[in-house]
Amino acid sequence: MSSAPADSGALASVRDWVANVGRIPRLVFGALFVSMILGGTINILMPGTRPATVAGIFNVSFVESTLRIAVPIVFAGLGGIFAEKSGVINIGLEGLLIISAFTAVAVTHLVSGGSAASQSTVWIGLFAGVLASTFLAFVFAVLVIEFRADQIIAGLAIWLVGLGLGPFLSIVIWGSVNSASVATLETLTIPGLAEIPVLGPILFDASPIVVLMLVTIVLSWFVLNRTSFGRWIEASGENPSSLDTAGVNVHRVRYVGVVLSGVLSGFGGAGLVLGRTGRFIGSGQTMIGGDGFIAITTYLFGNYNPIGTAGAGLLFAGLEALQIRLQQIAFIPAPSTLIRLVPYVSVIIVLAFVGYTRIPSEAGEHYESGEE
Amino acid sequence: MSESRYPKPVRRFLRFFVGNSIVERILISIAALITAVIVSSLIVLVAGYLSGEAYNPLEIFAVLVNGAFGSPFDLDSARLFTEGWSPINFSMGTTLKETTLLIFAGLAVAVAFRGDLFNIGVQGQLVLGGLAAALALVWVAPFVPGGLAGTLLLIPFGLLVGAIVGGLYGAIPGALKAYTGANEVITTIMLNTIATGTAFFLVSAYFADPTLQSVKTRPIPDFARLNGVVFPQGGQFSLVALVLALLATVGVYYVLRYTSFGYDLRVSGKQAKAALYGGANAEKMVVSTMTLSGALGGIAGAMWSMMVIGAWRQGVPSIGFDGITVSVLAGNNPIGVIPASLLFGVLKGGSNAINFQLGVPPELVAVLRGMIILFIAMPEAFRMLGNWLGVKPEPAAATGGGGDE
Repeated sequence: MSSAPADSGALASVRDWVANVGRIPRLVFGALFVSMILGGTINILMPGTRPATVAGIFNVSFVESTLRIAVPIVFAGLGGIFAEKSGVINIGLEGLLIISAFTAVAVTHLVSGGSAASQSTVWIGLFAGVLASTFLAFVFAVLVIEFRADQIIAGLAIWLVGLGLGPFLSIVIWGSVNSASVATLETLTIPGLAEIPVLGPILFDASPIVVLMLVTIVLSWFVLNRTSFGRWIEASGENPSSLDTAGVNVHRVRYVGVVLSGVLSGFGGAGLVLGRTGRFIGSGQTMIGGDGFIAITTYLFGNYNPIGTAGAGLLFAGLEALQIRLQQIAFIPAPSTLIRLVPYVSVIIVLAFVGYTRIPSEAGEHYESGEE
Repeated sequence: MSESRYPKPVRRFLRFFVGNSIVERILISIAALITAVIVSSLIVLVAGYLSGEAYNPLEIFAVLVNGAFGSPFDLDSARLFTEGWSPINFSMGTTLKETTLLIFAGLAVAVAFRGDLFNIGVQGQLVLGGLAAALALVWVAPFVPGGLAGTLLLIPFGLLVGAIVGGLYGAIPGALKAYTGANEVITTIMLNTIATGTAFFLVSAYFADPTLQSVKTRPIPDFARLNGVVFPQGGQFSLVALVLALLATVGVYYVLRYTSFGYDLRVSGKQAKAALYGGANAEKMVVSTMTLSGALGGIAGAMWSMMVIGAWRQGVPSIGFDGITVSVLAGNNPIGVIPASLLFGVLKGGSNAINFQLGVPPELVAVLRGMIILFIAMPEAFRMLGNWLGVKPEPAAATGGGGDE
């Protein structure tokens, strides 16, 4: 793909990435960069004016809340990449997020026996959530790989199972679709590094789940682009018979891809409740409220590149954070219900312009060795 | 693996079931249903154990089904039937009300599925169709004479407005898919949220009933509503609506099966190239399929406004999402939508009974719904089970790959 194999430095991989990441993430990062410069300039040149108030929204705490809001979207989006690249479209991400969010709160609550949970209990809850989501993803994998279920319908089933089980079991435990509050993960502070201006509080004085998210983004990129497993995943979705010929078991690769989507979504759902809200809300479409579907959009935007996917996820989270802040500014008349819709409308507009996103050629198709 | 262990008539009987694709579909749906009930029972047992209450799954399902029809059977005493039970009762009305709404929503999803389009956006089309119908009726009613003439004029009018608005809203993802290639699964999900948010904003900012605190439009005048016929007033169910739903089912079946539009729609779904050679305009087919689908969803919304609420208010139940479940259970067959809707109507109608009589959360029904779709999604598992039991399909049917019709 890259025509410059000679220089293999950090600069080259950045250039490589810019070339491959796709139009949308490039736009997103570009826009973020420009607005950062612009906001800073306004703030310095005209302090105390209305533009400065608006620009003042984009401060460190805005970035922090964006990162926290992004947790379920980005984790599920990264998981979706692994599943779909391997050839299995997983539209059940929403259900995986719901089940992990519920299980994390439930286990934390049950282990601590209703009293204030200690940090180790919260971590147990987190991993229980991941486990629940992984199990459900495994069921999904068996359905589509072993029993050749239609991937869309099976994914829908996973969503509906989560949507049914979360609120139902919540009533069984707490007598209401909304759970009681549980303790959340404490902020991870690295002394010294946390003192760095701007980056310090964002990266080194943050919720461990946010740090984990940032690490996972980079790790996913590395696995997909620099390891042989990454190549297997790609081949399994693009040309499974060649992978078969090379002696790699396609079914096994797809199992791993789907189960990984469960693991990552599990961190997303459990991280949402144990890193931020501290409770499970099961009314309506539950507290997940479509984040799993937004996640699907993010990896289509990011063209299956983890960095681009994370960029799109942060964009959505940023719009949500912005919406919350704009409500607090008196002189902006836009009603909050409409501002809340901005991310959704922008998805449609972007999809209309970008149009066709090229999905892996065998995604959605069952593969059977020796069948031609 | 040989089927010779069964006597010949049994073999022929079994082969009829396994070889025939429609019968096979029905069998798979029933098998999925039974499996879902078994798995849900296990979940209920565990849930009961967790909460310290002894739930009896058999009792729950008995009360669920019995309660949906207003308890015709007396489960507690030795007498079989409840004294003084009449088929016209409140619970039966609730069940049939849900059935009616689900038939329209299920048809909407089924039509799109037949054209190989996955319309998750029925919910949004339903929300806007319902809002438009309610507003149109509130505005127009003062200019129309009351009484029977007004009713005969306004009810078709309200349904038509719902259909048009729902259809237009369904046409958006259709056009995006046809002309820009935007995936309809994603656009419809986004449009659902946009519809709910926009409707909420419009009503709270402009159309709210000033006498109320809630986000609700002014009430539709009584003569413009689908009122209880046969079934008592205030039961939120009109037999007329059910009849309309059944007529719509037959209509959709006829259109899909016997008109050239329906032929193009089905062929576009199955063999896009063949449809092109046959002279169908692929882009136009996508848009019109989504429009028809959205129109049916809009009618479901209009029915909700005109029959259930008598206005439009925020918090529209997820009829559109349930429509997906109904359509999947029905194998996307319009006629199959009727029993599938009745089944989910029964689940909804009976959910109150298990809550009041047994204290079981009505959310159990949502668990059951998820399980049903989960097992419906794996027909191959049931086929394998059939093979294992020694019933093999005819070779000709085996290559069909599990299609319907």
